[in-house]
Amino acid sequence: MNTWILLPIFLPIAVGIGLLFSSFRMHLKMTGEGAAPAAENTNLIHGIAGAVLGISAAAALVCAWTGEKSVILFYLMKDVPIYFHIDKTGSLFVTVMSLVWLAVCIYAFVYMKHEGEEARFFGFYLVVYGVLVALDFSGNLVTLYFFYELMTLSSMPLVLHNGSREAIMAALKYLFYSMCGAYLGLFAIFFLYRYCDTLAFTAGGSLNQALIQGNEGIVRIAVLAMVVGFGAKAGMFPLHAWLPAAHPVAPTPASAALSGIIVKCGVLAIIRGVYYVVGAEFVRGTWVQTVWMTISLLTVFMGSMLAYREPVLKKRLAYSTVSQVSYILFGLSVLSPTGMAGALLHTVFHAFIKAALFMTAGIFLFRKGKSRVDDYVGIGKEMPVTLWCYTFASLALVGIPPTSGFISKWYLAQGALQGDIGVFRYVGPAVLLVSALLTAGYLLPVTMKGFLPGKDRSVHTGKETIDRMTVMLVIMALAAVVLGIFPNPLVGYTSEIAASLM
Amino acid sequence: MAFVQNFPFMSIILSLFSGPISSVLSGKKAKWLNMAVITVIGCMSGAVLAYVLGTGESYVYTMGHFSAPWGNEIRVGVLEAAMALFFCVIMLLSMLGGARERLLEIEESKQNLYYIMVNLLLCSLLALIYTNDLFTAYVFVEINTISACGLIMIRQNGRTIEAATRYMIMSLLGSGLLLLGICFLYDLTGHLLMSNIKEQVALLHQSGEYHIPLLVSVGLMSVGLAIKSALYPFHTWLPDAYGYSTLSSAAILSSLVSKGYIFLLVKIFYRVIGFDIVRDSKVVNVLFVFGLAGMILGSVSAIREGNIRRMIAFSSVAQIGYIYMGFGLGTVSGMIASIYHVVSHAATKSLLFVSASGITDVSGDSTDFFDLTGAGYRNKLAGVAFTVGSLAMVGFPMFSGFISKLLFAQAAVESVNKMLPTLIALAISTILNAVYFMKTVIRLYTPEKKAALEKKNFHSIKMWDQPSKSIALICFIALNILLGLSSDPVVSLIRSGLKMFT
Amino acid sequence: MNSYFMVIAVLLPILGGVLIPLIPFKSRAWMAVYMEVIVLAASVLVFLLILNRPEQSFVLFRFTGKLSVSFHLDGLGSVFAGLVAFLWPLAVLYSVEYMKHEGHERYFFMFYIVTYGVTLGIAMAQDILTLYFFYEMLTMVTLPLIMHTLTREAILASRTYLYYSLGGAAFAFIGMIFVLSYGTTANFIPGGVLDMERIGEKSGLLLLVYVLCFCGFSVKAAMFPFCAWLPKAGVAPTPVTALLHAVAVVKAGAFATMRITYFSFGTELLHGTWAQEFLMALVIFTIVYGCSRALKETHIKRRLAWSTVSNLSYILFGVVLMTPLGLEGALSHMICHAFMKICAFFCAGAIIYKTGKNYIFELNGFGRKMPKVFIAFTVSGLALMGVPGLCGFIGKWNLAEAAVASEEPLAWIGVPALLISAILTAIYMLSVSVRAFFPGRNFDYQTISNVKDPNWLMTLPLAVFVIVMLVLGLHSQPLLGIFEAVASAVG
Repeated sequence: MNTWILLPIFLPIAVGIGLLFSSFRMHLKMTGEGAAPAAENTNLIHGIAGAVLGISAAAALVCAWTGEKSVILFYLMKDVPIYFHIDKTGSLFVTVMSLVWLAVCIYAFVYMKHEGEEARFFGFYLVVYGVLVALDFSGNLVTLYFFYELMTLSSMPLVLHNGSREAIMAALKYLFYSMCGAYLGLFAIFFLYRYCDTLAFTAGGSLNQALIQGNEGIVRIAVLAMVVGFGAKAGMFPLHAWLPAAHPVAPTPASAALSGIIVKCGVLAIIRGVYYVVGAEFVRGTWVQTVWMTISLLTVFMGSMLAYREPVLKKRLAYSTVSQVSYILFGLSVLSPTGMAGALLHTVFHAFIKAALFMTAGIFLFRKGKSRVDDYVGIGKEMPVTLWCYTFASLALVGIPPTSGFISKWYLAQGALQGDIGVFRYVGPAVLLVSALLTAGYLLPVTMKGFLPGKDRSVHTGKETIDRMTVMLVIMALAAVVLGIFPNPLVGYTSEIAASLM
Repeated sequence: MAFVQNFPFMSIILSLFSGPISSVLSGKKAKWLNMAVITVIGCMSGAVLAYVLGTGESYVYTMGHFSAPWGNEIRVGVLEAAMALFFCVIMLLSMLGGARERLLEIEESKQNLYYIMVNLLLCSLLALIYTNDLFTAYVFVEINTISACGLIMIRQNGRTIEAATRYMIMSLLGSGLLLLGICFLYDLTGHLLMSNIKEQVALLHQSGEYHIPLLVSVGLMSVGLAIKSALYPFHTWLPDAYGYSTLSSAAILSSLVSKGYIFLLVKIFYRVIGFDIVRDSKVVNVLFVFGLAGMILGSVSAIREGNIRRMIAFSSVAQIGYIYMGFGLGTVSGMIASIYHVVSHAATKSLLFVSASGITDVSGDSTDFFDLTGAGYRNKLAGVAFTVGSLAMVGFPMFSGFISKLLFAQAAVESVNKMLPTLIALAISTILNAVYFMKTVIRLYTPEKKAALEKKNFHSIKMWDQPSKSIALICFIALNILLGLSSDPVVSLIRSGLKMFT
Repeated sequence: MNSYFMVIAVLLPILGGVLIPLIPFKSRAWMAVYMEVIVLAASVLVFLLILNRPEQSFVLFRFTGKLSVSFHLDGLGSVFAGLVAFLWPLAVLYSVEYMKHEGHERYFFMFYIVTYGVTLGIAMAQDILTLYFFYEMLTMVTLPLIMHTLTREAILASRTYLYYSLGGAAFAFIGMIFVLSYGTTANFIPGGVLDMERIGEKSGLLLLVYVLCFCGFSVKAAMFPFCAWLPKAGVAPTPVTALLHAVAVVKAGAFATMRITYFSFGTELLHGTWAQEFLMALVIFTIVYGCSRALKETHIKRRLAWSTVSNLSYILFGVVLMTPLGLEGALSHMICHAFMKICAFFCAGAIIYKTGKNYIFELNGFGRKMPKVFIAFTVSGLALMGVPGLCGFIGKWNLAEAAVASEEPLAWIGVPALLISAILTAIYMLSVSVRAFFPGRNFDYQTISNVKDPNWLMTLPLAVFVIVMLVLGLHSQPLLGIFEAVASAVG
């Protein structure tokens, strides 16, 4: 049974590589003979991608929800195995990830029509899925790092999909920031390998107290490096700049996946590193925690401010991601069970919300071909369903009860208030509040102007096209709302995780 | 008394009298006589060497059976016999190698004069090697000087006359100082025979009397011989003398004449003053410093030189610096290293001169660095020979220079204070050697453009176009490799020879 | 096996190489077959020797008294010998194709194959004198290879190479003399051979001598400030740059530093002294410096050469950690880097060979036209960055672990240096791949329609290297076990 873990990892990777290969062959032929580009058999590609993703996601979910499992794949080096282990945190992440990934995939079937080169896109899309499952299931820090790097590399082509110079530069930026972050993480791993009993994830950490005597300083530096490094993926200051560059140029499904899921992998890596390897105790009350809280709050505020000033919708959403993911990081930095629970909740909710928001932006772009917020005045008349979904998702992100965002922010603020973190006890919630106001400030005007364009605007009326994109959007938006109305199972589950770690 | 024991005396007389005989012969016949004499003397020296090695001790040969202190003595040990043999070999090869140049560069009428000079030179060298009488040594030093002058001047152009004049002046200065030193010693001890002086000096040293006059005398003799053997900074006569004289002169002068003086100095140190006394006096330190300076600055001058013959001449300055540096170490192993270097330098330097002439032959007789481009392809043997010589100079393993470098360095390590300066000077000097020698080698193997070749009217020569030179070169190369690969017999010969000195 | 075989392994390529200009081959193909046979035979012999190492040593000849040229194959030597024995046959295969247009082939191949024997000599040297002997020989036999094109640039480069190398050897010579004079033996013995009683109070001097000697040998390993020759030497034909300036010559320098540090001077004496710190500082600086220069460089071979400068200092970093773990890290990076870099160079060579393009900005869109070459290039780039799953990660991991375990602040600084270098590597390697695979939206492939993958002689080595990089990256344990055994002896 344990080896079934490997199915959702390697099936999509293998099929993805197959798709890529076929795409490559086609290009060779095309460019070799100088003939006109042959049309891709998109139905076939969709069929394959959908089927494989469905099977893999099903397998992943089954694996995740049928108890703890572990499998050692092979030894990378002596006592450094590539090791998969499913625990509660992993299950949570893999579930959210699989659902969003599936939804975005179906969305992309329609959306990618106007981007072209679908075989390549879905090839990489599948590969990234396999890598992400592996990342969620990884049972030790090296395995996590292994797939973290692979994730960066395999998701980069999603960003530069359209091949414009801008996209290439953005992709390189993404790559180098991620690499920077990953190497900072690696720096920590080097030290943790030495000063921990094992790199396998154990709740509460496994620092070797005897070895660490006298070397606390360097290990603390290492922990901070890890937080900042993995934080790069989560868009945390100071390595956040790739996010606003990458999102606008990537095809919308890729942005949705990046913003909803891939940034969460940074969060997961930090959780794994801090809570499962180092242990919260080692960080609590030290300067590392202070720095961590400071930069996460700074990012929260900064992200919101930047989003507020940004006229391009997708870029605005990207800044919003910067801000919102740092909510999560702040929750983690508090090092209290409540904060942790809040962080996990926000991880889940933000995934759905942000996916919904990007899907909306994508639909606007797809139908109107315009990307600035000013272009969307009066769009509510044209596409009411879409805009309503956007509105609900926005409300959730702002944290208006009874939507999901409210629940997670509540826990985050609670965690901060209860935590033993000095002045941050007040500063934290205050910043969160301000940022929430800013969030409302940058998200809701789209709704308002969309529905109420003013009198002097000629409004285009017509029936809104409802296709698979819209359906997926509705599902995501519903999830964002419904999870807020029935939060108890999730809250219980996350609190359980948090309690087990502290 | 064995018949062999007469050989040293006979060889001196033989060469001395072959001089006057040459004066009545034609150039060609004089040449053959000269060759025969050198060969015979070489054989005789070989026989003596074998004899001395057989008996295992040195012997004294009193001339005309007058015993000391009135008679004149010859003293023969392993080192003396070996040196005589070696000098003959080098001289023979140099004569062979320069045969063509002599024909071209020396006036028909003066051909036989040249051989007179060579014979006299050989005679004086042998006398310097064998004599046990300080005044006899002085006499032959002067003969040596005069014949050397003749060798320089015989190729008549402005430069050589100037060079010979300079050489004369410097040499006479040196001889004067040497004479002064001998006078001092004679004053102090009342003897001229080396063994007798040594006894007296030892007594004086013990009693502590005449300390300063003794020191002055040692100093005068050392400096005198140093000037004559072109120790830096008394080297100014050397580049012109070696650079413009005819080939065999340059080869003989550089490899033998200065070495004769050096050998005399060794004898003075060991057989006249006593090595311990020399070491205790600070004279060795002075020699050491000048030696080091010579090693570096000689090479620096060579780097700046654009004329290949003069470059090789400057390299001699550096190499003589090595030898004096070895003296200056004041240890037996330093002495051994120096004497070995006398041998290896003689073998290498004459090789370089002969091969350089082979190279200039195919470069329109130009010694200018830039005309040598590609000469290694035009005269293959000379190119290879020059490369071998250069590598030996640089101290490349397999060739003679490496062994002397090794011996010097090992000797240096034994002495605490002088170790580091010596080693570093060796390293720097090696680099500098590499710079100018290898630069030339690379130049030799840089192909010249066809057009330029035709314009300059350069031609190639085959190996057997100049048989005598080729034979000489091959023998020199073999000698170098022999010295480089199996140096052990030579070193042990020098060691046992030095033991016999005391 | 009998110890005679070591000499055969060394002399076979040397003599076989020297014969190349003399044998009247009927055609080029025969010459290729002849060379491949010679090289393969030597390689097979080397691997047989490694598998059953001869107990005795073999004295080829004596210089003076106790100084001799003698061979002995120990663990460390086996690693290096095995590496070159693996790479040389593949490189010859590649160069047979590459050298078609370069001219003077026979002399080229003569020196190319002689170099193989000389490198084996370095690997199998029993004592420091033998090492020095072959080290100097290596300089001489590789010089004509750099000069090969005989352009002005090549001449200048070879001159620089020569001065640096001989100069380095001159300083290494000092160390050698010291070991000969103060060592109990000249042989390489794990843990060092210096006789402490005889050294007495001169240990301060000893450190200075060690530093000089290390710097001397590290000239070939292109440590700052002695690294300028390596990028210049990139004018040589690519088989030379790839095999010699990424593996044989430069690794011989690194190998020599391992020998003197762990087997002659001994780490016990050096550990924790200013000598160690000084060298470590230099090495750490070189790691970053090499990468930064690579970033600035737009000539593809020179960029790779600067990258080599940096990576060689990874190895030296492992050496100067002066712990068994450090040696293990150094060895693993030595092997891993060899495959990554030779692969990258061969790709560059294939590009130059097929298209004559030398600069990175000329490579737009080549990825689709030369997929095999660029996939190999990308894989080697990823490996150089240290992406886990490829061999570069193994080397980096072992080095960093050794540095962390040494618990010295300066070594800890080395860890970020490795990572900074990794990120710079990512930039300078991947920017090439991205340019080649994603030339931009409106790129007209017609402009490069004549660009094609080379034939199997060139792609086979590439394929082998890619596979090796993957295998080493995923399953390095057997090899690491060997390194551990080698390294544990010196502790």
